[in-house]
Amino acid sequence: MKILYLGIAAAILALTAWNLWTEKDWRKQATAAMVAIPLLLRVLLIK
Amino acid sequence: MQKNHISAAIISILTLAACAVAGASFLEHRKVEPIVRGPGVTEVVKLSAWYAGLAGTPADTDVYVFRGQNPGGSMLVIGGTHPNEPSSFLSAVLLIENASAESGTLYVIPRANASGFTHNDPQEGAPLAYSFTLPDGSKRTFRYGSRATNPVHQWPDTDVYVHAASGQTLSGNETRNLNRGYPGRTDGTLTEKACYGITEMIRAEKIDLSIDLHEASPEYPVINAIVAHERAMPIASQVVLGLEFSDITIGLEPSPKNLRGLTHRELGDATDTLAVLMETANPSQGRLRSRTDEALVLTGKDPYYVKAQKLGRLYVPFDEKGHPIEERVGRHLTAIGEFAFAMSGEYPDRPIELSGVPGYDDLGAKGLGAFLRTAD
Ligand SMILES: [Zn+2]
Repeated sequence: MKILYLGIAAAILALTAWNLWTEKDWRKQATAAMVAIPLLLRVLLIK
Repeated sequence: MQKNHISAAIISILTLAACAVAGASFLEHRKVEPIVRGPGVTEVVKLSAWYAGLAGTPADTDVYVFRGQNPGGSMLVIGGTHPNEPSSFLSAVLLIENASAESGTLYVIPRANASGFTHNDPQEGAPLAYSFTLPDGSKRTFRYGSRATNPVHQWPDTDVYVHAASGQTLSGNETRNLNRGYPGRTDGTLTEKACYGITEMIRAEKIDLSIDLHEASPEYPVINAIVAHERAMPIASQVVLGLEFSDITIGLEPSPKNLRGLTHRELGDATDTLAVLMETANPSQGRLRSRTDEALVLTGKDPYYVKAQKLGRLYVPFDEKGHPIEERVGRHLTAIGEFAFAMSGEYPDRPIELSGVPGYDDLGAKGLGAFLRTAD
């Protein structure tokens, strides 16, 4: 179950990163970055 | 390079930097602070010695054993069930660093939910740690943990937590609450495995009395109280009287039969131990608290709680003097001494005699730091 949830978190993290790099408006890029931080910390099993 | 890729690169670098700073702080929380072995500790054993399934997991934890010179009964003190309740952990630490068993055997677990000490609760604004200055000027620092197992170690929570032995349902976040998982099971969550380890230890060592230490919010009805399994009621009533002689007022409540998963119910039902739980008053975990900082944890002084008391909203007296950590730890330690005394009176062939336990008045006069040993 944990692996499944980590997979979901990793997939959302990838989509967020993709959004960050394709988005034209830097403010929306910054929003994507803020979403990415907790996802990255969870995928790395830090928090 | 496109303009938006330049900003994306800058923002990505800032994001990674933020993760590095935050990540380092979170990882720092996993370091285990030393507890110094006092004169009475004869062995330190891992909980996995009683249930091998815990070995190598973040739920494995140290058990300090005090074997007395003379044979006798046995007593277990469980500290750190909820790592956001400092008097529970600190009472265990003071036993380890000061106490000895003259007769019988004392077992002390300072970090019953070891995983809960490795993080804290989001959005609570709790201080990361609190410190004590020792008589030699050195400092000992301990972290303020979370009520529950670290979600990095046990994830996800189910929407509804079903207590395995009874089918009782509770809110999903209770899945990581050690004091809802007893008697535990081997094929369950990490939290249930830790519960199982503690239950197995009590069974294998035939522990006569088990005391689980807690703190509660001043607005919570079960506070400054002993909750006792029905078989432990006679002993607990003697302790209440004994504490009255020391001017410590404490309530006595029977363990509810229909509230499952808690130490005072399940350890008493699943093993032969006499199971009790004790609560002191901790404003730093309460809902009505003001600024949450190290001072609040240590002094227990809070103007909002003084106000709440005047409005009749609390279950403990609360004035400007607050509930300092010395008072809270002093209550727990004095009660532990009274339990040993009552057990020795009730079962004279199985005495439990402790020495060196810091007293309520000593703690108040000298401060808690005076009873900690210098860590190298
Ligand atoms: Zn508690």
